[in-house]
Amino acid sequence: MSTEEVRLFIGPQHPGVTGNMSIEVLLKGDTITWAKTHIGYLHRAFEKLMERRIFIKSFPLVCRICVPESDTNEENLARGLEELADIEIPERAKWIRTLVLELSRLQMFIMWYGGIAGSMGLSTPVQWGIGDRDYILDLFEELTGGRVYHIYILPGGVRKDLPEGFEERVLKTMDLIERRLPEYDELIMDNAVEQKRLKGLAPIPKEWVEEMGITGPVARACGFPYDVRKNSPYEAYDKLDFDVITEDGCDVWSMLLVRRREIDLSIKLIREIVSKMPKGEFLTRLPNVLYWEIPKGETYVKSEATRGEFGYYIFTDGSGKPRRVHVKGPSFIHGITLLERLLVGQNIADVAPILVALQICPPEMER
Amino acid sequence: MEWVIAVAVKVIVIFTWALLTVLYITLLERKESAVIQDRIGANRASILGLRLNGFFQPYADALKMFFKEDYTPPFVDKPFYYLAPLVSIVFALIPVGAVPVADSIGLFGRKFPLSVIGSNVGVVLILSLLSLAVYGVIFGGYGSRNKYGVLGGMRGTAQAISYEVAIGLSLVGVLMVFPSLDLNEIVHLQNRYILGGWVPLWGIFLQPLAAVLFLIAGMAENKRVPFDIPEGESEIIGYFLEYSGMKFGMFFVADFVEILLLAALFTTFFLGGYNLPWLFTEGFHFPWGGSLAMSPIIVRIVQFVTFNIKLWIMIWFLLLVRWTYPRYRFDQLMDLGWKSLVPLSIFNILITAAVMVVIR
Repeated sequence: MSTEEVRLFIGPQHPGVTGNMSIEVLLKGDTITWAKTHIGYLHRAFEKLMERRIFIKSFPLVCRICVPESDTNEENLARGLEELADIEIPERAKWIRTLVLELSRLQMFIMWYGGIAGSMGLSTPVQWGIGDRDYILDLFEELTGGRVYHIYILPGGVRKDLPEGFEERVLKTMDLIERRLPEYDELIMDNAVEQKRLKGLAPIPKEWVEEMGITGPVARACGFPYDVRKNSPYEAYDKLDFDVITEDGCDVWSMLLVRRREIDLSIKLIREIVSKMPKGEFLTRLPNVLYWEIPKGETYVKSEATRGEFGYYIFTDGSGKPRRVHVKGPSFIHGITLLERLLVGQNIADVAPILVALQICPPEMER
Repeated sequence: MEWVIAVAVKVIVIFTWALLTVLYITLLERKESAVIQDRIGANRASILGLRLNGFFQPYADALKMFFKEDYTPPFVDKPFYYLAPLVSIVFALIPVGAVPVADSIGLFGRKFPLSVIGSNVGVVLILSLLSLAVYGVIFGGYGSRNKYGVLGGMRGTAQAISYEVAIGLSLVGVLMVFPSLDLNEIVHLQNRYILGGWVPLWGIFLQPLAAVLFLIAGMAENKRVPFDIPEGESEIIGYFLEYSGMKFGMFFVADFVEILLLAALFTTFFLGGYNLPWLFTEGFHFPWGGSLAMSPIIVRIVQFVTFNIKLWIMIWFLLLVRWTYPRYRFDQLMDLGWKSLVPLSIFNILITAAVMVVIR
């Protein structure tokens, strides 16, 4: 048998790759000796388009940056613009935003929890995850009118107040999801094959976390207690009571554990938000948003997405349009810097679980 | 002449039965996965407006496969590419013919076995045909001229060859307790009773370890989750990557024929085959003293029904595994085969031999 290396393109049309990206690998037997991420299959020029639009028109655009979790983008942009225009938003709006962000995080994590099993050929939790996520999408539909793209968070607050009885329905859905979770655990956590596959898979050296700027559940799985919600609180997170979840394994199994505990945390936070929800206004009066000019300035706002720290750098020059908006998605670091190094030495079969574990969302890499 | 016609009728009937079973295995797989995953499952196919909750779905699937465009990529190695699906399905179907579905009957003054191949070396025949089925995987992967296909073919070959060892060694234990290579004779030997005639002497009671090993190794041989490494759809898509239309359909059917084969072999070796407890050639003899005489034809029909019931229970179990386990990695699979299953089956042979010496 020849020991020549085989060059293999995984993606962009590959069922194991989480989106429109491609990974070029060199294989020696079953082991990857070199890997390179190719992006550009999904470039939609979000940043450039935003420069040509008035501020309010950017909101339907930014929620497309990561499809399953659109609210983080809206909230980031809204908060950045509020900071630049020096607008104070009502207390209730902050709490509603926090509720929407947590619901969005929860549905993403539930889908992910099934997806990690799906990446290894167990499709049952995938179907369950998509099914249970739908209950949260139902809540979103009632609240915002949209299931996936909400365009709900605007500068100055949120677009609509909570409907009557919405809080009770949120709590009911949380009870339902909490009842379902033990079934997932039994199928995913207590599964001998799954444990064998994921325990000790693709350990990340701890020094990489600071070198590369790894954030989110991946960093927390390496024992770094970094959570934007706690470290630099935004919206109403400073009034919520929670601890940063960390694990010490650095491997895919620890990332799974972190995310599993994040689901519990999200449910707890949603209950807390609902119980503490203040009364009052939900939207401040803004100037006419069609002719809204924001004074010259620049800012960097960040928030915790399910994948890591999601940042927006906004630069305005006093006109009605932003001069420059730069979107920093966590997938850019995880999917290119980290993935290319992490895949070296791994088995070809582990590419799919690693991709899912890093939760790479290709549209974030090419804005 | 009558003999030839009788054999021809038997061959047609048994293979029709096998293929119909395979069709309904696909339906069972769809429905079972639907129930597990909180779905309804395929229920739209209808004949004259009659849906019967998806009863006609397999026929619709088969028709769809036949009428799909059969595209041959220009770069493939034609002889191997065309041969692969054929080899897969033929060597999956022939061993099914060696499994007795009921006891042999007397016809025209001769013994007429109710299996297509009434060979007296059936076990060896099945093992050898199973190893030939690997060629379908090799040819498919190699002939596709696709890197993913070659990877899948190589993995499939390595997997099938290593697990054949475990299958063969686990069957040695069975052959020691039922000293015959004739499948019908093995089934006959399981129609004995112990503990005052209450417990049948089935293979699973005599050889529990061998039963577990055979089932695991058989599932691996079958290339299904958790051992579907040659066709793991999220890593390398598989050796049939470049196939479409009915050529893909043949690989697909071969997979399900192998499920039928595994279930039939497990039933035959470990679950008493077509034996209903206390049913003998001339009728029931109950351990509490009663008996019920039946005509030989009725007995054969009861045996056939019994065999089918046991078969479907096994098929149900085999399909269940797929929806509750993810797949192993290739090296872990090889570890499991060579470091656990093979030593355990050798251990099983030693224990069996020791017990047999002590009892004798």
